[in-house]
Amino acid sequence: MPPYSKAVFVEVTALVNIRAKFKRGDEVKFISHLDLMKVFERAIRRAKLPIAYSQGFNPHPGMVFGLPLSVGVTSEAEYGEFEITDDSISVNEFADRLNAQLPQGLGILSVKARRSKENIMATIAASEYSVVVGTKSECTEKNIKSSIQKYLAQNEIVVKKRTKSGMKDTNIKDMIYDLSFELQPCGTFNIIKFNMLVSAGSKANLKPDLLIASFFDYLKLDYDIDRIHRTKLFVKAQDQLLDPMDGLVL
Amino acid sequence: MSVRLSDGLLKSVEKPSRYTGNEWNSVIKDPRNVNIRFAFCFPDTYEIGMSHLGMKILYHLLNEREDCYCERVFAPWTDMEAKMRENGIPLYSLETKDEIKNFDFAGFTLQYEMSFSNILNMLDLAGIPITADNRKDNDPFVCAGGPCAYNPEPLADIIDFFMMGEGEEIINEVMDAYAGWKGTGRSRTDFLEDIAGIEGIYVPSFYEFEYKENGTIKSFNPLKPQYPVKIRKRIIHDMDKVFYPDKIVVPYTDIVHDRIMLEVFRGCIRGCRFCQAGFIYRPVREKSHERLMELAKKLEESTGYEEISLTSLSTSDYSELEELTTELIDEMDERKVGLSLPSLRLDSFSMDLMEKAQKVRKSGLTFAPEAGTQRLRDVINKGVTEEDLLSAVSLAFNGGWHGVKLYFMLGLPTETFEDVEGIADLAYKVVNAYKRVPMEKKGKGLNVTVSTSTFVPKAFTPFQWEAQESREGVSEKQRFLKGRIRSKQVTYNYHENKLSFLEAVFARGDRRICKVLIKAWELGCRFDGWGEYFKYDIWMQAFSECGVDPYFYAVRKREYDEILPWDHIDVGVTKKFLINESKRAHDGKITPNCRKNCGGCGAAVFESGICGGDSLG
Repeated sequence: MPPYSKAVFVEVTALVNIRAKFKRGDEVKFISHLDLMKVFERAIRRAKLPIAYSQGFNPHPGMVFGLPLSVGVTSEAEYGEFEITDDSISVNEFADRLNAQLPQGLGILSVKARRSKENIMATIAASEYSVVVGTKSECTEKNIKSSIQKYLAQNEIVVKKRTKSGMKDTNIKDMIYDLSFELQPCGTFNIIKFNMLVSAGSKANLKPDLLIASFFDYLKLDYDIDRIHRTKLFVKAQDQLLDPMDGLVL
Repeated sequence: MSVRLSDGLLKSVEKPSRYTGNEWNSVIKDPRNVNIRFAFCFPDTYEIGMSHLGMKILYHLLNEREDCYCERVFAPWTDMEAKMRENGIPLYSLETKDEIKNFDFAGFTLQYEMSFSNILNMLDLAGIPITADNRKDNDPFVCAGGPCAYNPEPLADIIDFFMMGEGEEIINEVMDAYAGWKGTGRSRTDFLEDIAGIEGIYVPSFYEFEYKENGTIKSFNPLKPQYPVKIRKRIIHDMDKVFYPDKIVVPYTDIVHDRIMLEVFRGCIRGCRFCQAGFIYRPVREKSHERLMELAKKLEESTGYEEISLTSLSTSDYSELEELTTELIDEMDERKVGLSLPSLRLDSFSMDLMEKAQKVRKSGLTFAPEAGTQRLRDVINKGVTEEDLLSAVSLAFNGGWHGVKLYFMLGLPTETFEDVEGIADLAYKVVNAYKRVPMEKKGKGLNVTVSTSTFVPKAFTPFQWEAQESREGVSEKQRFLKGRIRSKQVTYNYHENKLSFLEAVFARGDRRICKVLIKAWELGCRFDGWGEYFKYDIWMQAFSECGVDPYFYAVRKREYDEILPWDHIDVGVTKKFLINESKRAHDGKITPNCRKNCGGCGAAVFESGICGGDSLG
């Protein structure tokens, strides 16, 4: 063991690590993930919250965000982790002060202090989305239901996925945990609201629009995605999917 | 009525967040509660426009008024424009997404001649007639200001009225006049008549030009005796008391200058003879460092920005620079705010300052000797000697810097191949200065970059009578210089000079080129300042279809007694002074800076700043 000095040890434990759940509304759905981090950094500066900065030439604020959202997608289940250097600030004070400085459309929903060293990025395993799709094709509750069953019962579900080395055929069958829907007929138009639970994170990640495209291509029906909204995000611990704010994973 | 932008449309364009607004500190008002709606239009992209200080000032200044709502509008990029036209979406404001056609004013800031085609495009997208004479009572007034407004004539058919000079006071006077006119049922012309009497307002349709057979101007005539014959620019007298926003809009997406801009002074004492800014912004007027500290603190708190930049021409000339920077560094260090100093003369003080303040990578430093020989630097009154430059780069090399960028102009009046050769010589002297630096102090790998641009003669400078060098002539000089620079440590950058030629036409153009602008836009020109969209051949086609000779404007030397298209605009600096400076240039005589010796340029008429005996100036 290298001889750590006591001073360094004390400094490290004085950091407070906060996990926050936040929403991202229509007003801010077109900003990129990178820009979102800047928004938080500046909001934290305006709130005068004592965020920890990395050492070095270009100090970075101690912030980590969960799975990036695609541009145009809204969410009520975004997560960020913040390291602050003053343990006299309660997590609720942190949330209140930050909320006062966040632009419309962004808002902290809940906060908890955490001890775990594992950051949220590394542990994300699944995400739940609601996707509103419009189609001019005729459909009934019954035939969508059986279509989903048939679609999911295939031996494999192959889609073209964009990877670093170009387009690649990927079997997404094991990435789909659940797919359900509600049908809202609307004149000559049908609106179908899908709910899906799919793999998310660095190991396997299925984008909701890809699943919808695959499903409608399978049915050979026209479709138009109206909106995508993330409703939940899950982390994996001891082989089960847990809410990131669950005490077990904090 | 606000426009409907579908998600699908926004998802299909590059950087959609530049079209959606809602940024921190953007101003939200209920349009039903105001009397005047002002669309502040920047004829370039969001990233460029949002970096412009004048817009930030006037946006917040107008929104201080309870009776007025000022909103921002930028030129949509070509992908967005195509989608807007395809879907019948008119030009809209970022704040309320309301159609610009229903605003009271569409006000353009003119920062660059090559964005003029975007003005036409924006008006067209808005559904506003592009020429003033076609506008009806329910159309907005189209007004303009900014540095390119000092030669307003190329836009004379487009713009209803110009505001000359600094906008902070005049724009409020215009808004007051408008509040008095609106709802009275009086005509558009009546309103323009009302404001024509305000100092600094120029209504181009109230005047006409007569031309001689040789194409030069015979006379400039007001159509009615009550219209002013000279339009004097407006300036702010007390820079400490003038409005300056204590909060500014913080964009979501990266813009060109994404930081707090602290304007330390206006004007410049230097008088470099090629530089329009050095004459049109006179006299020099400073803010006190106390006021600047107060603004810096407020802006830092309201924006959360991590960087402050000092903004002015030649910032080293600020008389309280040391006090200001010391206090700023003290105050901002613990808030982890960096200070950037973009326009500093390099000496030991500024080296020290950069060491302390700037988030600098010791890679590149930029110098602008502008000309290769002392003779030519004297002609242009650039008060920099070879010794200054070499001692500055030695200082930088000893401090660990290892990259130097040198900026020059080609085609300056009286320039010879000897002067061009001087550019190469200077670059080699910089290389030699690096070789003399002891090994242990050297950064690794020297890289000297020489860049040349093509000189564009501008209105209100001592070179306003000069011919621009022909494109062929400049190309020959570029090739010559390329042949002289052979070292691996020196890179030479230059570009085609077609754009500079067109800049020269518009910088000194008159009313007759307005129709060329309209024709070029009709033929598809826009974003001319963006290399990938600049269509030289189309522009030349527009000139020929309109029967206008661009060479008449760009490469013709004028006589001192010629009536120039901007002679009716008064910037304080007199024609007599400019003629004298022009003669001194040709004699190779330098003129000392304003602080050393008053040259009697005429700006004293404003009795302000350095000309008013004010100790700060």
